[in-house]
Amino acid sequence: MGFTQVYHYVAGKLDWMAAGGPIEGTGAAQPRAGGVARADVPTCGLDERLGEVRERVKAAGWDACVVVNQERVVFGLLRAKELDGDPDSRIEQAMRPGPSTYRPHVPVAELAHTLVDHDVPNSPITTSDGRLVGLLLREDALHAAHQAHQAEEGSP
Amino acid sequence: MTQAASQVGCATCERAIESCEVCDRADCPTAVCYRCLAVALRQATPQPHDHGG
Repeated sequence: MGFTQVYHYVAGKLDWMAAGGPIEGTGAAQPRAGGVARADVPTCGLDERLGEVRERVKAAGWDACVVVNQERVVFGLLRAKELDGDPDSRIEQAMRPGPSTYRPHVPVAELAHTLVDHDVPNSPITTSDGRLVGLLLREDALHAAHQAHQAEEGSP
Repeated sequence: MTQAASQVGCATCERAIESCEVCDRADCPTAVCYRCLAVALRQATPQPHDHGG
């Protein structure tokens, strides 16, 4: 068939998609969490002080920060409520530990429904080994889902 | 005397959970467990066969 380099991705197609790998075929065009999540979300480490992190996060125009290690594996999340805590506290104490995370291949329309139903403003998107892809904002998810729906209705 | 952790039921499978997997609230009216959430969002990663393929 002319293929010269062929690989067997042992973990399977879903793991490939969960890692944010490119896909094609039916449904590939629908917006997914990994494509809509903001990769430029501020991050911080466990040993930092909340006051310094809060300054940095606000200066960048954010009200959320993802707590990661050096490999960008997600440990926790600081939403507005956590960011307003004691400025002298360590991030490890201030953060919301082990937040629910979602894989990049999850259709954004489904995730938008979930975030609205549970009144959650944002959620980290991670690969299946826990590395941060970005932070999905509820309004971004709703916007992307709405646009996709409109495009679907407008197509012949 | 130890105090038992408060529990809610998953709205889908009725399994007892400590808090909603999505919003982390113990009083979530539409609480969902990890398994039901993974199924609902189709984000579970099936294990590959030992022999591949």
